[in-house]
Amino acid sequence: MKHLGFNIGKVKIGSFDFTCCEGCQLQLANRESTLPDFLALIDVRNFREISSERFDDYDIALVEGSVTRSDEIERLKKIRAQAKVLVAFGSCACFGGVNSLKNGIPQEEAVREVYDGKTIETMPSTRIADIVSVDYCIPGCPVSKEEVERILVGMVTRSLVSLPKYPVCVECKQRLNICLFDLGQLCLGPVTRAGCDAVCPTGRTACLGCRGPAEDINFPSFEQLVRDKKLSSSEMREMLGFYNGFADYLEHEKS
Amino acid sequence: MEKPMIYKVISKPEFKSFIDTLVKSNTAYGPKAVDTDRLGNPVYQFMHVQGADEIAFDYTVTHSSAKHLLLPFRDELSHYSFRDGDWDQEVRYDAPPIVLIGLRPCDINAINILDDVMLHGPYPSPYYLARRKNTFIIGMDHLPLADCFCKSMNRHTVNHGFNLFCSDIGDRYYLAINSANAFSFLKEFRIEDPSYEDNCNLIERRKSIKNSFATTVEVTGLPVFLDIEFDSPIWQKWGDKCLSCGSCAMVCPTCYCYSVEERFDIDLKGSTRQNHLYSCNLVDFAQVAGGHNFRPRNGDRLKYRYYHHYRGFAANDNQQICVGCNRCGRACLADINPKDVINDLRLERESCMTCVLPSPDKT
Amino acid sequence: MHDMRFTIPGQDLNREPFAFKAPDFQKKCEVMITDRGYKCRITNIVPLSDNERLFLLRIVDPVEREMFNFRPGQFLMLEVPGYGEAPISISSSTSNHEFIELCIRRAGHVTSALFETRQGAMVSIRGPFGTSFPMELMEGKNVLMVVGGLGIAPMRAPLFWIGNHRDRYLDVRLLFGAKDPSQLLFDYQFEGWQRVSNVKMHTIVEHADESWKGRKGLITALFDEFTFDAKETYAIVCGPPVMFKFVCHHLDLMGIPMNRMFVSLERRMHCGMGKCCRCMVGSTFTCLDGPVFDYWSVLNLKEAI
Repeated sequence: MKHLGFNIGKVKIGSFDFTCCEGCQLQLANRESTLPDFLALIDVRNFREISSERFDDYDIALVEGSVTRSDEIERLKKIRAQAKVLVAFGSCACFGGVNSLKNGIPQEEAVREVYDGKTIETMPSTRIADIVSVDYCIPGCPVSKEEVERILVGMVTRSLVSLPKYPVCVECKQRLNICLFDLGQLCLGPVTRAGCDAVCPTGRTACLGCRGPAEDINFPSFEQLVRDKKLSSSEMREMLGFYNGFADYLEHEKS
Repeated sequence: MEKPMIYKVISKPEFKSFIDTLVKSNTAYGPKAVDTDRLGNPVYQFMHVQGADEIAFDYTVTHSSAKHLLLPFRDELSHYSFRDGDWDQEVRYDAPPIVLIGLRPCDINAINILDDVMLHGPYPSPYYLARRKNTFIIGMDHLPLADCFCKSMNRHTVNHGFNLFCSDIGDRYYLAINSANAFSFLKEFRIEDPSYEDNCNLIERRKSIKNSFATTVEVTGLPVFLDIEFDSPIWQKWGDKCLSCGSCAMVCPTCYCYSVEERFDIDLKGSTRQNHLYSCNLVDFAQVAGGHNFRPRNGDRLKYRYYHHYRGFAANDNQQICVGCNRCGRACLADINPKDVINDLRLERESCMTCVLPSPDKT
Repeated sequence: MHDMRFTIPGQDLNREPFAFKAPDFQKKCEVMITDRGYKCRITNIVPLSDNERLFLLRIVDPVEREMFNFRPGQFLMLEVPGYGEAPISISSSTSNHEFIELCIRRAGHVTSALFETRQGAMVSIRGPFGTSFPMELMEGKNVLMVVGGLGIAPMRAPLFWIGNHRDRYLDVRLLFGAKDPSQLLFDYQFEGWQRVSNVKMHTIVEHADESWKGRKGLITALFDEFTFDAKETYAIVCGPPVMFKFVCHHLDLMGIPMNRMFVSLERRMHCGMGKCCRCMVGSTFTCLDGPVFDYWSVLNLKEAI
């Protein structure tokens, strides 16, 4: 397409999974109403969930999942070397995700519990930014297809690609939801990055912070809130640790 | 400018059937119990209603204001359609008529303030005008809640900005009819001229409302005061509590600051310019191209919201835009509310004064 | 059941374009349309430096072209369809109806998109918005113009204005300071300004290699090069806040009354119409009461500097 005198063409993408449930990639094929338009934007070069054809000439790599095995490191580095733009796709890739829950217990114990004594090579769940440089993060568990569309359109047209900087509360209030704190629940909405349209609080489920912290959050005030409402601070830490998105804040607290 | 008003009374059952007819013939919004909080109190919101039975006429207060029906959280400003290097722009001011039922005097005053800002400033907003012209407002009075302070802001009564206003005088409503439409609708129902007793009851009702305010916020001289206290440490103290979550601005009936965003359509054949309601508490409110943030600290942003609400902006005749509904105070998780912040500022000021002024009895 | 007798009659605002009488301060513009942009063709793009370019825009519709009148110092909202809008100060002569010149630095996402466009691309403008330099007030007096870096963009309109009405002003002086010689934009016009418009020019840069023959230092150093009658002088200062703070302080010491110094403030406007509140400085809208303020007002604005 020609717009304003410069060419807008399809982008070549590759989609790759590491340690994850592949649910975020599945989102790419979701939302049928816009799927044909979405697929017209991209030239899928490597994506095992929708095509058996594989090429290695992609420009944008969507990387789902965290790294939990040493061979994954090599594979990730190869993808990084090929891709012009590397996107951490989903909470596992951005923060380590649910997989990071095992980081809190000895690795042998985790292996014994899950694989019943089989010999499995494993390492602590690591977000991909700790291994290679990441150009964009699209957090979420799973990612929101609408946001993925917006960001990919932004990449195709070279227009603004950004995530909201404010917390989920903004969107939750816009949906006229009752505040979960008023129901006596603990919710991470006030500190979690918006962009999900407050889907969990709207369904009366507490926000677990799958999109990680909003920009410049007031963490001490949030802890105070949990104390003031007489909610459990161990539950709060558990929730904050669920997707590992708040690791920096939790560590800070320990020290 | 006040228009002449017609006063009538209507029995409560007849009023309900009037509302029912109106609701069924139009797109209507009214207070609805949507939930129950952990203390067992019902939670109300202004929701789309399809019959008078759904409306909670004796509701206390809605968690969120009715602002979004006039200033939607997201609104399309214009749409571009692209064709080979050129484009067409389409701007539409679409607003199908709606009926808003059960607004409190403070809510109607809030809409009057929005009218001043959106329509009476240097550049009237056609988007707002279209919605405002097509909004039929039925107001209802109520006894204030313990934390309402609209009387302090002088927003507890209203004499314009509605089509019909109902005062509860026992078994009937005392109606102030402010539009030809409202009158011609009501003519089809049993309405009567108010009797002497009705008038007495109305006066009693107004008195009892006026005397029921438990919360007072001292706002005299506040504008000057806020100018003087601009660099007060109080702001950082409250800023340290503020979560910068924007809840206050979303539920506020007068917060209107917004952000404009443009997006390509997914088929790349066009783009949409949208405005969406923002809050001055949000972290990037005063960020400019290149990344510089003029208000990086929570305290600066919180101060700014109070500045806007209680000092007012020069372009809007320095009008205070707070109506005293305290929705922000109830929604705030960090327990920040106008009463406490303003009192704190005053205390701080007074303690300064006692330091500076020589005390008279020291001779 | 739906009863038509009780249906509220709707009013349709779409029938005519929404235009209204322009506010008083828009002296030269009688009618304004603020929601629909004027379609413009980018007729020329002049590279000024690595990151700054001069865009020449021509309003496509001849009627709109006649309608678009502005005063020196005003800004417009430039929209690159699909990419968004940004406030840009108008950098051309007010008497030039054929072209609008915009001197733009690549800073945010809108300007980056603009830098990708080619000659012939169609963009959209809304405006003009904001206050202007009071050129009439300065008549019969000296005018001292102090520019730091990209401050030359809003300064060109008053420069052209003075050039067109040179006999109305006494001494006109332009002090231009920049980071390095490449940032002295429009150097190809310096000679024209000096000879044709009779503007006395002084330049200075902070850093330069040996090829630079002029002065090195901060802009305030230029004040020792000339003398002037402070009581008969108006000053226009454009540049980054740090710079105009120092310059205005200096001018104050030299005796120019604060209400005779004019500065242009920059904030990120989203609407240009005093609605979105993004450009508030204290209790004042930069887009309505600014961008041009006298220095006395700026000092009294909260959080301006």
